[in-house]
Amino acid sequence: MDNHAILKAGAPAVLAIALAAVLPASYASNLLNWIAIAALIAASLRMVLLFGELNFGTAAFVSIGAYTAGLLTTRFELPFLAAILAAGVMAALVSILFGYVTLRIKGPYFKLIGFAFAEVVRLCCTQIDWLGGNSGMVGIFPPAGLDAWYGTFVMTVVVLMLVGLYAVERSDFGKVLTAIRDNDAVVRTVGIDVHRAKVICFAIACFAAGIAGSLQAFANTVISPGDFGVLLSIMALAYLKVGGEESIFGPVAGAALLILLGSVALSFGAGEHVFYGAAIVLSVLIMPKGIVGMVDGLLRRPGGPAASTPAIREARGQ
Amino acid sequence: MTDTTALLRTEALTRRFGGLLAVSNLDMDIRPNEILGLIGPNGAGKSTTFNLISGFHKPTAGRLFIGGRDVTGRSPEQISRLGLVRTFQHGSLMRGMTVRDNLLVGAVGALPQARGEPRRARVAETAKRLRLTAYLDERAGNLPHGLQRLVSIGIAVATGPRVLCLDEPLTGLNQSEVAGILDLFRSIRDEDGSSILLVEHNMKAVMQVCDRIVVLHHGQKLASGTPAEIGRDEAVISAYLGKRHDSH
Repeated sequence: MDNHAILKAGAPAVLAIALAAVLPASYASNLLNWIAIAALIAASLRMVLLFGELNFGTAAFVSIGAYTAGLLTTRFELPFLAAILAAGVMAALVSILFGYVTLRIKGPYFKLIGFAFAEVVRLCCTQIDWLGGNSGMVGIFPPAGLDAWYGTFVMTVVVLMLVGLYAVERSDFGKVLTAIRDNDAVVRTVGIDVHRAKVICFAIACFAAGIAGSLQAFANTVISPGDFGVLLSIMALAYLKVGGEESIFGPVAGAALLILLGSVALSFGAGEHVFYGAAIVLSVLIMPKGIVGMVDGLLRRPGGPAASTPAIREARGQ
Repeated sequence: MTDTTALLRTEALTRRFGGLLAVSNLDMDIRPNEILGLIGPNGAGKSTTFNLISGFHKPTAGRLFIGGRDVTGRSPEQISRLGLVRTFQHGSLMRGMTVRDNLLVGAVGALPQARGEPRRARVAETAKRLRLTAYLDERAGNLPHGLQRLVSIGIAVATGPRVLCLDEPLTGLNQSEVAGILDLFRSIRDEDGSSILLVEHNMKAVMQVCDRIVVLHHGQKLASGTPAEIGRDEAVISAYLGKRHDSH
């Protein structure tokens, strides 16, 4: 990464953590937590989209993370950090099994299986007594000393995770993933195991989803199966579409806008969902490349990016 | 026979699609340091043969050997790791990525363990060889057709293949581009010591560059031999070459 890229990504990251640190515990600080966690979930979804698949199972992996953290904290009194790490690892392990079987399938079937898996996991949680059944788990508290700083902690973990995901995306492995989305047959012909690459990427994404789930469990201190319906995956997709898919900032921008709008919409009572839905439709219509795409376009010279550079013009002219 | 030294050998390779016998009892070998042309009219079974030897199709019957090793039924990835790399007729490249990243994918396939510098060096070297250095940061999909062909070949070349299988690499290229690519083929044979299997409709180029030619017709081998022998073969002329070759 060059200096410019570090500055471009580092400045907002530091600002976000600083904001989380100075904000006193309040509705606003809760909102900031939700935005950070939602951004991480959307970034997990985007990670799987790198190789071209839409993971509607995201909700399942968030819930696996949340339940793992909840169980380990309330029943086994595991240290806080260990529980968070275990949440990510558990989600990743399950995702390796799930991904190994399902990632051979492409297109609509993978989406449907992800959708079904999320429902199965949710239903299992409602049926299993030691997971709290329908009412879920209560009393998932972060350590008392951290209470005042929990928002800062969430933001720091989310920033670190996003940096990690970005590093994977920028690595040679990330390029291979993008190549799989673009033309997987070519990737196979050069001897790269496409299925293995997909499973690894899927596991990384689900690790992030599991971490997000554990952060959510500690933030709300209560979890129940209803929190992890398919709607969670769909909302993550909305954050991504509204924010912009092409950049790692997209999920962050989308989560921030939609969650802030959502908190405004709460005051509309029954009209909440209409308002919310309209906001999503409008932003996708007005900003087809999301917030980040639009800002990018405005910052560039009018006329947009040059489709033809001197080198190409020369090649055409010869 | 040269069986023991063949890089790639097929034994009675057969592929059936329902009632259609696309490739039937094909015996073929590719020897070290040669450019082998695979020609035949449309529907002769060239593409199926390509898919069979690269692992994208499983043969209905027959066997496939690479370097004397039976690899019948192996996956494309496994076959590629044994040194047989192919291109596709339509677009063997990632159009949404830069030329650099396209070549990088080939380099990653060739050097799975090496990180960083060796891969970058391979990309730079391949780009230089294909005269793509000026376009490394362009989006591949923005390039003119001829350069996109070069990128496709470049991805395969970056893997350092022992057998490079090219499916109609010259389609849509102008004469000077064709001449450049034929020079590249010769350098792959003479400097890298690799072999090339070439499926191509440009007969003039095939006759110029190939050491040997196999002619397919209705999924069967009609003839094989040097370009001069093929050019004289009555069966080939009546089935396929005919006027097309004479006109050049």
